Amino acid sequence: MNDTYAGRTITRDGQLLLEKAEKDRVETVWDRFENQLPQCGYCEMGLSCRICVMGPCRIDPFGEGPQKGVCGADADIIVARNLCRMIAAGAASHSDHGRDLIEVLDEVAKGKAAGYRIRDAEKLKRVASEYGISSDGKDDLKIAEQLAYAMQEDFGTRKKALTLLRRAPAKRRQVWDKLGIAPRGIDRETAEMMHRTHMGVDNNWQSLLLQALRNALSDGWGGSMIATELSDILFGTPKPATTAVNVGVLKKDQVNIIVHGHNPVVSEMVLLACRSEDLLQLAASKGAAGINLAGVCCTGNELLMRSGVAMAGNHLTTELVLTTGAVDMMIVDYQCIMPSLGTVAACYHTRMVSTSDKARFPGMEHREFHPDNAAEEARALVKEAIENFTNRGEVYIPVEPVNAVGGFSVETILGALGGTPQPLIDALKSGTIRGAVGIVGCNNPRIRQDFGHVTLAKRLIENDILVVDTGCAAVATAKAGFKASDAAQMAGPGLRGICSALGIPPVLHMGSCVDNVRILVLASALANALGTDISDLPIAGAAPEWYSEKAVAIGAYFVASGVYTVLGPMPPVTGSMNVVKLLTEGLQDVVGATFSVEPDPEKAALAIRRHIEEKRRGLGLPAQKV
Amino acid sequence: MKKVIVHPERCVGCMQCMPACATAHSRSRNLFAAILESPVPKPRIHVGAGLYQEGFPNRCRHCDPAPCLLACLPGAIFRDEELDTVLIDPDKCINCASCAMACPFGVIRYHEDCHAPPGKVVAVKCDNCFERQEQGLIPACVEVCKVNALTFEEPGEALKRKTDEVARSVSLGVSQAELPAGFARFALLIGHKRKELHVGRP
Repeated sequence: MNDTYAGRTITRDGQLLLEKAEKDRVETVWDRFENQLPQCGYCEMGLSCRICVMGPCRIDPFGEGPQKGVCGADADIIVARNLCRMIAAGAASHSDHGRDLIEVLDEVAKGKAAGYRIRDAEKLKRVASEYGISSDGKDDLKIAEQLAYAMQEDFGTRKKALTLLRRAPAKRRQVWDKLGIAPRGIDRETAEMMHRTHMGVDNNWQSLLLQALRNALSDGWGGSMIATELSDILFGTPKPATTAVNVGVLKKDQVNIIVHGHNPVVSEMVLLACRSEDLLQLAASKGAAGINLAGVCCTGNELLMRSGVAMAGNHLTTELVLTTGAVDMMIVDYQCIMPSLGTVAACYHTRMVSTSDKARFPGMEHREFHPDNAAEEARALVKEAIENFTNRGEVYIPVEPVNAVGGFSVETILGALGGTPQPLIDALKSGTIRGAVGIVGCNNPRIRQDFGHVTLAKRLIENDILVVDTGCAAVATAKAGFKASDAAQMAGPGLRGICSALGIPPVLHMGSCVDNVRILVLASALANALGTDISDLPIAGAAPEWYSEKAVAIGAYFVASGVYTVLGPMPPVTGSMNVVKLLTEGLQDVVGATFSVEPDPEKAALAIRRHIEEKRRGLGLPAQKV
Repeated sequence: MKKVIVHPERCVGCMQCMPACATAHSRSRNLFAAILESPVPKPRIHVGAGLYQEGFPNRCRHCDPAPCLLACLPGAIFRDEELDTVLIDPDKCINCASCAMACPFGVIRYHEDCHAPPGKVVAVKCDNCFERQEQGLIPACVEVCKVNALTFEEPGEALKRKTDEVARSVSLGVSQAELPAGFARFALLIGHKRKELHVGRP
């Protein structure tokens, strides 16, 4: 095995497929990363500004060249503006995803979305009541129509605060009110963030960053939360189900279809089509033993959580999955889909299809899905994938899949605990479980693929800290076997006992990256049960390999909600020591939590354990010295 | 005589020197027009990545004696004494690559150039922007570098400044000697990148 492959990823399938990619002369994300080195220091430090056309401007970090942009903005203002715009883009992406689900719900209510239906009517009623919509004497479709309308209002600007903020503990809401950062409208906060960072508006780096927190909260307690809740209502609230992960889930003798992206609106219809009898028969007539649907990235997570659909890989594996030569069709929606995929697929027989009106990619055929045509379009595509099965060349599926259990929604976790968080609180109080940590976020070629996620999760569960994870992090730990039914053996004695008793793994799959809000809801439930604030709980967040703007928004809403959050890669802020200090120290006094940056997961684990023990001490619980 | 001096510890890897150099050696001397020219002008300075992915601007040192000059059999490479610059005559160059083999720094490249006969591939390297200097301008790479990783000054002055810096650090004691204020920001980034590179690599 070439050292380079092992240096790029800890995964066996990744290493073997990198070798194959090189042999096939397929360029991957790692090659392009190498070609970008050295990366621009101004940009890495957040010291370049391209917001207006008096520039572009850059600040000399050594203090001798220019210290101000053409407009007069100094390093603090430029760094803050750049970070704020990242958060605005991240919040906009998640929230726009939420908006798409509202549109589906609305069309379902109006009978215009054949194929879609309300699968969790009980949750529909529960969420509707949070929006002040009574269910008395109304059928589900009427409730759905009214809920869709009410949620659309959360996007607008007519309200003083978002509806779902009420889910946060009272003490947390007081913090936001005191600071004036309770988000008012989902779109409004993003629009205001873009407005404030326009030249000549807000030039105070502290107030800019406060608005960025408000913007992030509008994602966490608004757009993302709506996306998750509506996905549950439309496609079912996740329940634990066994599944399999890594490239080995592809099947040599079956039609392999991969769904990639973030939005379940398309993939759920593809799933239905894959299970339809006539298409299975068509596959058989082409000599295929069946139709095998698998996911990558968060569209994969959505299907895995709800239907146990197998997962072929996370962000950095998306190109490599195609180099197996076994994928007959990849169907993508939006977010985190590398524009290189069409080029990779062109080396094999794989057909690439984009489906969203807002996302196009080079080398892909565009077949637009809308609620009214989705079911039909999905059937057409699956049929074409089946027809493409006979065009396959050589197939290389180098590994066996790893078993995993996914599907731990808050409802499921509380259900497993007997309906209340009390057993979890008791375990936390006694110290059987020291705390809980959410490991989230992407892969980044700067970090050896999955090393950050897997090492951190390993160290935490060994020390009796329950791990919940989402997104690419969740796939990483699944590939490493932490979500197998016997994974409790990897945990420390306290956590092992509880996981064995409940029959759950020590690392719980909570969904896609939009589903990070499930962690907020769970944390709120714990804080409410203890009559305290989220920032007092022995919990933490971590994004050991993040890359995307969405991850910055998630990190910011975690911290603004009171969760200490450790990042692996450094955000582009080192150009301003004032911004660095505010994010890593100053926010403690403002929102009761800070960011920390630590690329080494061993050290990150220690920092998190120290933080958890300190919070235990604060609550008067037995604490250890770490 | 003023010379281009490289301060690699200050290079942030933005690569702005590269398009500036290519533009300075184009027909139009204008970035936006230059990219439409044929042949497309190419830079004579190249930014490489160090062990910790830090930038390093690599350019011709105009060595004396110059190995490339000594290796040039057709006599295309010569030294302009006035500017103390090693130059290549594109008409005499036979594209034999002897100079590149002799150069310890890998700064000589081969491609078509607007100053060479059309269609002829020749050896190309830094000419200290002698045309710009004749017009009273400083070399393009220096002009565009906003972090002073490239400076154009009397070598004696640069050496004196460095000597003074070292002398002051000795009189303060190493522990008290502080980096200039701005260095902390860059040091934080580079420190982090070093850590990232060491994390988990086999």
